[in-house]
Amino acid sequence: MHIEKGRLSIACVSLVLGLMLSVQFRSTQDIRATLPFQRVEELSARLHEVEAENKKLESELMDLRGMSGAEKSEKINDDIMMFAGMTALEGPGIILTIDDSGKIAKKENDPNLYLVHDEDILKVVNELRAAGAEAISINGQRLTANSEIRCAGPTISVNNVRSAPPFEIKAIGEKDNLINAINMRGGVADSLKVWGIKLDIQPSDNVWIPAYKASSKYKLATASTKEASK
Amino acid sequence: MIYAVIGLLLGMVLGFFVPWGIPAGYTSLFSVALMACLDSVFGGLRAACNGNFDDRVFISGFFTNALLAAFLVYVGDHLGIDLYYVALLAFGLRIFNNLGAIRQHLIIKK
Repeated sequence: MHIEKGRLSIACVSLVLGLMLSVQFRSTQDIRATLPFQRVEELSARLHEVEAENKKLESELMDLRGMSGAEKSEKINDDIMMFAGMTALEGPGIILTIDDSGKIAKKENDPNLYLVHDEDILKVVNELRAAGAEAISINGQRLTANSEIRCAGPTISVNNVRSAPPFEIKAIGEKDNLINAINMRGGVADSLKVWGIKLDIQPSDNVWIPAYKASSKYKLATASTKEASK
Repeated sequence: MIYAVIGLLLGMVLGFFVPWGIPAGYTSLFSVALMACLDSVFGGLRAACNGNFDDRVFISGFFTNALLAAFLVYVGDHLGIDLYYVALLAFGLRIFNNLGAIRQHLIIKK
């Protein structure tokens, strides 16, 4: 064995090797330790969120229980009116305008691709709702559970009121969420921009959304007390 | 030989008590460097078995291998080539080769 030749230098090399080994070992342990730890943190944050929500609902329940009959029915009535779109609302949100393309249509392409269609508006509205929009209006028409968005010649009809582009869609909700939902990569904005359709989003701290204007239109349906058959 | 073992143990103990670790982005570089070091050590052992061990070759090989391996992986990262796996595979193969040679030497000697 000729190892004895450079004892000191070999000892140094082993020292470095040992150092590297144990540092590597330690950092691997660290990584193993931190991953579950992060998960725990994430879960506990979620738990806090749910607990806060639970508390809020509980206090709401207590409020309702504590109210007299008239107060209660008024509160419920207000909630229902709000939910049905019968009251004007305001709050933080976005104002989104969509207009037909400014590009000159190429001969080989269908000129329809350069126009805003009911489908495009539907996609935008769907995306906004998925992002948690609480109220939406299109060109001053409040979207309710019964609202249609339909192509009507060169115009689009909402609540049976026709309007021509540009369309102004107002939504109340978390501004950033709404903007990101529309601008998501491969999302609505991306697919519309291919054809040069003008889409502009302005965040606003105070978006005002009108109430549903038409009268209630339940001519045929009546309230039923029957439960859903199983 | 005893110096090598003492150095190794001392290094390990030192490694456990030093306050700094490896930043998360450099762990792959570090592991490749470690692999290169291990390869050099086994190469050195093999050379010692064959009787042509040279400490200058060993020490220079130990450090340049480690640095070069880490550097290559770093460059590969920036060029989008996964040299990490290539380096691990190459060093792993060589380590096993060297181990085999050492084992043969020990068996034949006895």
